[in-house]
Amino acid sequence: MFKKVRLWTALISLLILSLLLSACGGAQQEGTIKIGAALCLTGIQAPLDEPALKGAQLAVEEINKKGGVLGKKLELINLDGKSDPVTVGNAAVQLIEQGAKAIITPSDFDFGGPASREAQKAGLVGISPAASSPFFGSKALGDKQFTMSMWNTTMGAAAAQYAREQGWDTAYVVTDDFIQYTKDLGQYFVEHFKTLGGTVVFEEKYTQGAADFSAQLARIKALPEMPDFFYISSYMPDLGLIIRTMREAGITQPILGGDSYDDPGLFQALGPEYGNDIVFVTHTWVSPDTSPQMAEFLKAYEAKYGGPPEAMWAATGWDVVHILAGAMEKAGSTDGAAMAKAMEDNTWDLLTGQLDWEASDKGHETHKQAAMVRLNAGVPEFLGWLMPESQPAP
Amino acid sequence: MINLEFIINTLSLGSLYAMLALGLVIVYGILRLVNFAYGELIMIGGYTLYLLTGFTPLPWLFVAFLAVIVSMLTSLATELVAFRPVREKSLTAMLITSFAVSTLLQNAALLIISPRARAVTLPQIFQKSVLIAGTDVPWRNILTILTSIFMLALLTLLLKRTVLGIALRAAADNFRMTRMLGVPANTVISSAFAISGIMAGIVSIFWIGRSASVTPTLGAPPLLVAFVATVIGGMRSLTGAVVGGFVYAIIISLLGIFLPPDLLEFREAFMFVFVIIILLFRPEGLIRSKTSVERVG
Repeated sequence: MFKKVRLWTALISLLILSLLLSACGGAQQEGTIKIGAALCLTGIQAPLDEPALKGAQLAVEEINKKGGVLGKKLELINLDGKSDPVTVGNAAVQLIEQGAKAIITPSDFDFGGPASREAQKAGLVGISPAASSPFFGSKALGDKQFTMSMWNTTMGAAAAQYAREQGWDTAYVVTDDFIQYTKDLGQYFVEHFKTLGGTVVFEEKYTQGAADFSAQLARIKALPEMPDFFYISSYMPDLGLIIRTMREAGITQPILGGDSYDDPGLFQALGPEYGNDIVFVTHTWVSPDTSPQMAEFLKAYEAKYGGPPEAMWAATGWDVVHILAGAMEKAGSTDGAAMAKAMEDNTWDLLTGQLDWEASDKGHETHKQAAMVRLNAGVPEFLGWLMPESQPAP
Repeated sequence: MINLEFIINTLSLGSLYAMLALGLVIVYGILRLVNFAYGELIMIGGYTLYLLTGFTPLPWLFVAFLAVIVSMLTSLATELVAFRPVREKSLTAMLITSFAVSTLLQNAALLIISPRARAVTLPQIFQKSVLIAGTDVPWRNILTILTSIFMLALLTLLLKRTVLGIALRAAADNFRMTRMLGVPANTVISSAFAISGIMAGIVSIFWIGRSASVTPTLGAPPLLVAFVATVIGGMRSLTGAVVGGFVYAIIISLLGIFLPPDLLEFREAFMFVFVIIILLFRPEGLIRSKTSVERVG
């Protein structure tokens, strides 16, 4: 008897739950253009994707206020990709079934790739706000797939060029081998730094989650001579641990890195004590004086969320929606092939700088300037834009 | 490369791992349960540090104390709410419950705070180093070693000299017999969880002291370390946990130094090969307990 009652309650609650869920799904307006997003709100990808989603949602609202696209309102649907490639792929399938006309994928090749493959299969444009792997383009994923980020080739080359401009000859490189992004980035930096005549003293490995840098530290301390600077390709939370461990042990050489450094959590974790002489290559500088566009974005952001964006990634989400909307307008339709062509043919003026894509036979390589930022006493300061004169082949 | 600095760093790491392993094994000893929500206790301690140092003017030492208390209370609460109702059912049920608690706590942090890393303000002493024999040794490392010695002494005293300690040890040896002799099971189990929570709280201070930031997924790496350390040392002995913690730290640090650069990325793989070798020769871990009775009901 008891068991029966329980079974019934379970069944009824399931029923109610499914009703609720379908009610949520059914709340779509007629006559909108749907943009699907499989951005990850949980797991290790969430720190990048969550702010990007906020930026994207804001962009959709602002575009709709101005009358929408092709006479219709935009509608953004996000399904949590949960930092799991399979879930991301499934989310994309579901979004396409719901009628999405384009897919925004997570900001990483490993996690974003599956959504792009599904978009390509359905003949839709897939775009990642900040995946920087050279694989994230038409060669590996298909002719309608894009990333908005500079490739790691540019990101690595910008740091190498900056270092050479400072007159630094020797580098000690630490590469986090946990994901493709950090591996690629370290490799491209090393390649380009050597091309520019620099010497790499040692290529050190670290694995995200190891949560201990003491063996690597011992090797650094045993060097006969300190290198001119360190290049560390890793990301939060362990990036904070690596830099703190080194600074605590009295290593004061400059540290260079990529866009994963662009995190207020890192700035605060290092503080005025350790947050010095750290230079990183990132996508943009979030400040009202960067551009009139940025000022407009910041104003709208504050109005919607009641404070400034928590991280730069919010700007990438805003940009991605504007590109998709712009491509629809320019193509005059939501057809995937037409949109992809419009994206290739035009130059895009964005919060994250000017962007120009190569054609699909050249992998949709992005031409984009890098923003150079330096940490001084735990406070970031904008050094300027940098376009590397040359860069390694992907 | 094996100089004084390296030795102190390794000892500090070993002390941290030993405290970690102790917190895990004290519950395992009695319930035969590997508490997979143990890492989340450290995460909770970390968020307590973040919230109290960032948003209240409380002095740091008091905040650290509160972090330990909050960890302990969380541990007690999980026992009361999640483990106690399924304790009589089966070990598998408890194991799965511990996964559920872990997921629940992680997602709570994610929803309530943020998936992004939060910076924890650390006291001045955590930013200072002391010059010993010509090298900079961070104070934090010395404090870790001292704290773990103090905690080990305290725990030994508790287990050897108090009624609760004797009950805990008896329960770890033979839980059914202990209950028959009139020791209340709930009290013993709650105490074990409380001690486990206290260890997690203390570890959280030093774990976060190294990176100065806390994330919802912070608990996974320390849980893995604690688990492997107890397997090396012996799942049924507190001494084993301490030995396991130090052995883990020493092997991983030496591997980091002596592996050729090309093989460095396989450091963890080599580590686990060592674990397998140790288990081949000593299947019960380095330290065997006198009795090895399976958990009953």
